[in-house]
Amino acid sequence: MKRLKLIALVVLGFLGILVSPLSAQSNLTYELKVGTTGDNTLLQEFPENYAGEKVNIKVQCTAYNVQRADSLDFVFANEGTEALRSWGDSVYNYSDESGIKWTVWRSRKEIKNRTKRVLAGNAYATFEQYLHEELDVRRNHGWIWWVFAGVIFVAVVIYGVVLIIRRSKEKNLSAVEQEILRRKRLGMRRHYGSQLYLWVLLLVLYAPIALIAVFSFTKSKILGNWTGFSMDLYVNLFSGRADAGLNSAIWYTVVIALVAALCSTILGTLAAIGIYNMRSRHRKMVTFLNSVPMINPDIITGISLFLLFVALGMSQGLATVCIAHVVFCTPYVVLSVLPRLSRMNPNTYEAALDLGATPAQALRMVMLPELWPGMLSGFILALTLSVDDFGVTFFTKGSGGLETLSTFIYSDARKGGLTPELRPLFTIILLVMLVALIIINIRNTKQQND
Amino acid sequence: MTKLVQIFSSRRTWAWPYVLFMALFVVLPLILVGYYALTDIGGHFTLRNFAKFFTHSEAIQTFLYSLMIAVFNTIICLLIGYPAAYIMAQEDFKTPKVMAMLFILPMWINFLLRTVATVELFNMCGLPLGEGALLFGLCYDYLPFMIYPIYNTLQKMDNSLVEAAQDLGANRWQSFWKVIVPLSMPGVYSGIVMVFMPTVSTFAIAELLTHNNIKLFGSLIQDYITTTDLLNYGAVLSLVLLIIIGLTSFFGDHDSEGEGGLV
Repeated sequence: MKRLKLIALVVLGFLGILVSPLSAQSNLTYELKVGTTGDNTLLQEFPENYAGEKVNIKVQCTAYNVQRADSLDFVFANEGTEALRSWGDSVYNYSDESGIKWTVWRSRKEIKNRTKRVLAGNAYATFEQYLHEELDVRRNHGWIWWVFAGVIFVAVVIYGVVLIIRRSKEKNLSAVEQEILRRKRLGMRRHYGSQLYLWVLLLVLYAPIALIAVFSFTKSKILGNWTGFSMDLYVNLFSGRADAGLNSAIWYTVVIALVAALCSTILGTLAAIGIYNMRSRHRKMVTFLNSVPMINPDIITGISLFLLFVALGMSQGLATVCIAHVVFCTPYVVLSVLPRLSRMNPNTYEAALDLGATPAQALRMVMLPELWPGMLSGFILALTLSVDDFGVTFFTKGSGGLETLSTFIYSDARKGGLTPELRPLFTIILLVMLVALIIINIRNTKQQND
Repeated sequence: MTKLVQIFSSRRTWAWPYVLFMALFVVLPLILVGYYALTDIGGHFTLRNFAKFFTHSEAIQTFLYSLMIAVFNTIICLLIGYPAAYIMAQEDFKTPKVMAMLFILPMWINFLLRTVATVELFNMCGLPLGEGALLFGLCYDYLPFMIYPIYNTLQKMDNSLVEAAQDLGANRWQSFWKVIVPLSMPGVYSGIVMVFMPTVSTFAIAELLTHNNIKLFGSLIQDYITTTDLLNYGAVLSLVLLIIIGLTSFFGDHDSEGEGGLV
């Protein structure tokens, strides 16, 4: 119990370190200069003068001790200006004080080079906020290193003081007693040292995940900018107000995973029964065949299937992705059903046939109840493999706009940002997994105690 | 008719659909990789694609670089993962199962998302993206694959052997190097294979971790294979990767009695 409390404290402290200094975030200063005139013209003034012309703005930004300077090309267009394709993409809309609506256009080439996602429409409250995202200004968290150094320094100092006090107390002990104490301590030091190693490793492993979890509670579009506590992302996720691409990706992921897991469970169970009853030479061959998709890295599986579909002239989409997922899921089902078969009495099936059951009946009433646990674990394994897959899906999804969560995240990340609703989604998945883990653990210890 | 019924009631035949499925969707595609590598766009036999690979310095360099990164990553994972597995397998370690699950749990979060989060973490800490970030990200993704098999073999190891060594006068260090390490080698081998193979074939995450500055062999293959005109050359590159994978799994085939493995 004591240890649990300690762990909880450490975790809370870690999260606290991440969150606390992020809450004050708004001391940004921008100096906007119109490049063509060189004057310090204010933002509100120049659109009227340069409507429809390309304007180069030199942006200097000092935020969180980070200097960023950049020059960006914009076109400001109001309702009277005729839009031209050569301007690029419209990235920002706003109304000025006199109620005129302005659209800000940005060179498409520049956006591509920047690989930064810029949200169209009224996603930003002010032009400064838009520029803020455009420049990718974020807090420099170099202070984290100072915190680390500080913690280590304090720990070393405390340890040293404890050592000195201990020495002075033990001065008048006999040599034998001192030796006994020394050995005892050596064991303890080894024990706690190895514990510390594991926990530090876990801390590093979980740091990025903690980042996702923590920032699922803020609205900011960029992961790493804290704009105050908010549950909006969760609300968006569940009310379907998130990005349409994300919603369809979630549905496709679920559908593909279910179809693939179901097909591979049926196919794999039948195959396992067949393999189990084969002559050893054939069995060896089929088990080797079975291990090929497991050894193959997903890029090879994906590419080879891609080539097959190209050669067959199949149009790639939902069907091809499902087939591909069945290919790499089924071997795992076979492997999880086979051990159940070898544990089963091989004569029961024949006994059922002798007693007049048809093969289908014998399968349903004799084999299935015995194989059920293996099939279930195979099914679950297939589900997780399918949901997690990226490589195979990437090559077999075709260009028809089919995206699963993995490929959606990839194309999102390539554009330079993540759809913010992914953060709550994966926080929930992590929590569900954690709860499942705890339940399994409790059940195991109970079974051991019984 | 009765013969047909007989065929279907023999359980041996139940594997036929699967064998057929595998032949069509596993064996045939792999043969097709070879076919496309040996033909040009028109479908005529040619060796020009292979010749192009051996004279294409970018491909060769990327290939060697990827191999190097994979070797480095495997070594790092081994150096970090072995002590962790060793500690978890100690007798006085009370919660090895929970710990093992804690190491595996991150794998349930999509690895691309974890990679993006790693990038953000590097940004937050003010660390530059590049080779260091790449190695960190790869190690972060594949470390569980190293820890788990080693932990499995160490845990199954007969502890009385270590005690015997100590009774015979070996000190901790000697009994570790001469007894524990040799006995855990099967786990180490399968760990190495399980880390090396996905690392050498990795694609997509390298670009994210290095801001498109470093390209690994997997990404190169992806570029060529998705370009229609260069599909045949992409097949050659895939074949090269396939050979590496085949060699690794051939030399790493110490997995007797299911010593390691995540499943």
